[in-house]
Amino acid sequence: MTLPELPYLTIIIFLPVVGALAVVLQQTTAPGRAIKLTAALFSFLPLVLSFILFLAFDSRTTGLQFVEKYPWIPRLGVNYFLAVDGLSLPLVLLTALLGFLAILASWKISLRIKEYFAWLLLLETGVLGVFASLDFLLFFLFWEVELVPMYMLISIWGSGRKVYSATKFVIYTLTGSAFMLVGLLALYFSTGTFDLVEMSQHPIPATVLPATAIFFLIFFAFAVKLPVFPLHTWLPDAHTDAPTAVSVILAGVLLKMGGYAMIRINLGLFPEVISTYAPLLATLGVVNVLYGAAVTLLQQDLKRMIAYSSISHMGYVLLGISALNPVGLTGAALQMFTHGTITGLLFLLVGLVYDKAHTRQIPELGGLSHRMPVIGIVFVVAGLASLGLPTMSGFVAEMLVFLGTFPVWNVATVLAAFGIVLTAGYMLWMLQRSFFGPLNPRHASLADADALERIPLFSLVGVIVIIGVYPAVMTNVIATAIPQLLNRLGG
Amino acid sequence: MTFEDAYRLSPELILGFFAILIVLLDLGVRRKGWLAALTLVGLGASAAWTAVLTAGGWQGTALGDTLAVDNFSLFFKFLFLGAAALVVLASTGYSIRFARFQGEYYALVLTSAAGMMLMASGRELITLYISLELTSLSLYALAGFLKDPRSNEASLKYLLLGAISSAVLLYGMALLLGLTGETHLDAIANALGRMPGANYPVLFLGIIFIVTGFGFKIAAVPFQMWVPDVYEGSPTPVTAYLSVASKAAGFAITLRVFTLALGGPREAADWSLIFAILAVASMTLGNILAIPQANIKRMLGYSSIAQAGYLMVGLATLSDLGRSGIIFFLASYAFTNLGAFIAVIAISHRIDSDLISDYAGMAHRSPLLAGALTFCLISLVGIPPTAGFIAKVYLFNAAVQQGLAWLVIIAVVNSVISAYYYLGVVKAMFMGTPLSLERVTAVRPALAALAVATVGVLVVGILPEPLISIAQAVGRSLIP
Amino acid sequence: MIPLEHFLTLSGILFSLGLFGVLARRNAVLILMSIELMLNAVNINLVAFSAYLVSTEFVGQVFALFVIVVAAAEVGLALSIIIAIYRSRATSNVDEVDLMKW
Repeated sequence: MTLPELPYLTIIIFLPVVGALAVVLQQTTAPGRAIKLTAALFSFLPLVLSFILFLAFDSRTTGLQFVEKYPWIPRLGVNYFLAVDGLSLPLVLLTALLGFLAILASWKISLRIKEYFAWLLLLETGVLGVFASLDFLLFFLFWEVELVPMYMLISIWGSGRKVYSATKFVIYTLTGSAFMLVGLLALYFSTGTFDLVEMSQHPIPATVLPATAIFFLIFFAFAVKLPVFPLHTWLPDAHTDAPTAVSVILAGVLLKMGGYAMIRINLGLFPEVISTYAPLLATLGVVNVLYGAAVTLLQQDLKRMIAYSSISHMGYVLLGISALNPVGLTGAALQMFTHGTITGLLFLLVGLVYDKAHTRQIPELGGLSHRMPVIGIVFVVAGLASLGLPTMSGFVAEMLVFLGTFPVWNVATVLAAFGIVLTAGYMLWMLQRSFFGPLNPRHASLADADALERIPLFSLVGVIVIIGVYPAVMTNVIATAIPQLLNRLGG
Repeated sequence: MTFEDAYRLSPELILGFFAILIVLLDLGVRRKGWLAALTLVGLGASAAWTAVLTAGGWQGTALGDTLAVDNFSLFFKFLFLGAAALVVLASTGYSIRFARFQGEYYALVLTSAAGMMLMASGRELITLYISLELTSLSLYALAGFLKDPRSNEASLKYLLLGAISSAVLLYGMALLLGLTGETHLDAIANALGRMPGANYPVLFLGIIFIVTGFGFKIAAVPFQMWVPDVYEGSPTPVTAYLSVASKAAGFAITLRVFTLALGGPREAADWSLIFAILAVASMTLGNILAIPQANIKRMLGYSSIAQAGYLMVGLATLSDLGRSGIIFFLASYAFTNLGAFIAVIAISHRIDSDLISDYAGMAHRSPLLAGALTFCLISLVGIPPTAGFIAKVYLFNAAVQQGLAWLVIIAVVNSVISAYYYLGVVKAMFMGTPLSLERVTAVRPALAALAVATVGVLVVGILPEPLISIAQAVGRSLIP
Repeated sequence: MIPLEHFLTLSGILFSLGLFGVLARRNAVLILMSIELMLNAVNINLVAFSAYLVSTEFVGQVFALFVIVVAAAEVGLALSIIIAIYRSRATSNVDEVDLMKW
């Protein structure tokens, strides 16, 4: 379908921050219904718009769509350049979806409501901007925007060692960004432009730093974000101590910023360097998968468990990138989307369990499905999706990754496949210990998810199943971006 | 003094006139608020005249070529006048503490502003020295205005250390005179070009002394010892003024002297490395020593040492882009630091404490002030969408272009370290439990000044293009 | 004619003496005197350079006059600050003026 000429991406990106302003300007009344409704509205509209864009996306052509390019700082050659292609559009949709669901999941917040929703909306703007920017400086700007909202959200509304985790998150991310900035400036000097599209057309001349050095400077920032072992230590703390909705966004979307950036920038701009270091990436991917899964098995805290499992699942993304072929790359891109939905669902569920049972320690739970059948069933579905059961999206993504990587790194693939066994192990064990078996008496009077809480759960389950059964819906879109990304790899 | 000279120097003369007027009126006027208003009128008149000079194409030189009225000096005049105006607005509630000396306070602000304007215009060693001393003496006196032991101590330390550094500066200037027989910067440049190589060690010594003198003003390591104590002990509006205007004046004079007189190719190669090392020392020392600080003014003092370090990265580039980067950074730093300090003035005045721990829970008691302070602090770290972010990107870009990538890496790592202590204040304000639930408000003029500063930070952060083109034009005008 | 080097040596010695005084003395007034010594050493330099090396103008002498004026103003201000400290702390020993450290 053809749409009227409007700056859709700008609207999608900036609606949340306008919503944040609208929230801030309101009076704080006790339940804060007006604030919550405003926040919900301003995150629902981007969702609708991005879904429309998704439907309107032309899967028959390759290249960028919905381009908006205006000069911003002409003297520095910086443009306000927004566009999406098959790689970024699913992620924009994912962000808008999880952003809206996070607002719904935060409906029962009572502490400092106004600030909470303002920061959450500002965060959404930042992440949407990262996925849509094709000018490196604009990309960097949006990348940094998410720092302060995350710090505030975790340290005020979190639990456990919240200030420590928030500070750790900021310091790790800032250090990564510091190196990215140096790489960015070196790139600007070597190529004379910030335009990511232009820079991906020709090899990067080594004027001030060799291309490999710039590659690793920038890779470092994304490796902190993904996260890649051993730069992952911020993640368990940040995920566990953040409030539920923030964990959903953190695991569901923020981590994908790292993976997306690796593909867009490290692969797109430095194909020669990345093919030289592909073995390293494959190794790191496998380490992520196995280490993440192994440590997950040791966890007693439900939330921490899901956090470590995210490290494991992002390893598949890295593995898929290291294959450097269409199938592997499609798998990596799809895995980012599917993992976002699956882990988002898992964190929502953990949040519900914690809200109702007031504990996240698995030994203290037991037989919850007796009292919370709906949550129990959805949790089982989420767990099965996470371990890659066919008919759910996780299977398709992981299958594509393995199909793509096996011809290139067969040992790595086999090892990574073993990660699925470990995932099955910890997921099923966790489900059995928490939801099945005899009901732990202290939870004898719990309520199940109410109507408002069920909406996010069922919507995510729906997405997971639809893509699991008919993945072409997503892979057709992703496939349009692959030729462009791989065309300089020499066949 | 010809009519043209007087016309060109009118901005400074107006300030001098108003300073005297205020001191005289202070004898008779009861409500000191009139004096503040008069100061603003004087600053406004001076700014208007500067605008007339800019628009009317009155660029040229005055007083026998000793003072220049070019884009460089006009830009800095606006900067100093703006900073002084914001400081005067911000000290509206605070100036009660000066008891019967309010007239002198405003007069000294005006004279120091005039001195700084002359510093930015000077083209000749004697003029530069006199204007430097005019500024410094006014600031020494301002530092001691609170009449409490801390303020006296700050003033004494400032004066003693400042006097020593200006004596050293003077020795260096004397050496330059001896080597070249000239005091005019252009003539010095010419003479240095013809100087026999055997004199080079003496030139080096002279330049070291001059760097010492200027380094004191910029608060760069190793001449930064005065900063924490003076910043802590002075009245907070004076601290704000010092941190922004005095530093900018120091950089203006350094830029002019080093670009015009000492920028020859023979000297250039060494200076890049020396400035780079000083930059690294300033950044690192400033940031690391800021972390354990409990007093917010002291912390901001160490932070300004670190910011001087970042600015010196621009000095190390010795390029046009680097110079325009310094100018852009100074302008954005002016907005940012003034915003932060105005919020601090308002909050500290109300709770009567400068300790960061007493700022706990300020977000509840004064969302506006806490929010503005937070915004300015994240601009100091360099997180978008603030002016500080663009300034760092711009300046570091200039450094990378000159092959100083290693320096940029150190600078960005330092920015990360600085996040720790800036966010510490934010943490206290948003997460701490307030000591009392009493609302903290500020008087309207202070709020207006705060609004101007904060909006400036945001606007420059989102639409930096106009300021960038101004900075580039100003930087270019330095080289005739 | 006394060679120029003699003047320079004299001013160098005076400057160093002044610097030593600044660093070693504890009484604020004596520190001020040392600073004055440094400034006058520079004056000698300025006048000597101007007399020997610059034939037509009197730049150095003019500079020295300006320096004398500024030094006088500085001392006036400094002494008043020292008096203020003395009135509140009854000491002019700079080591004892140390409310603010680190």
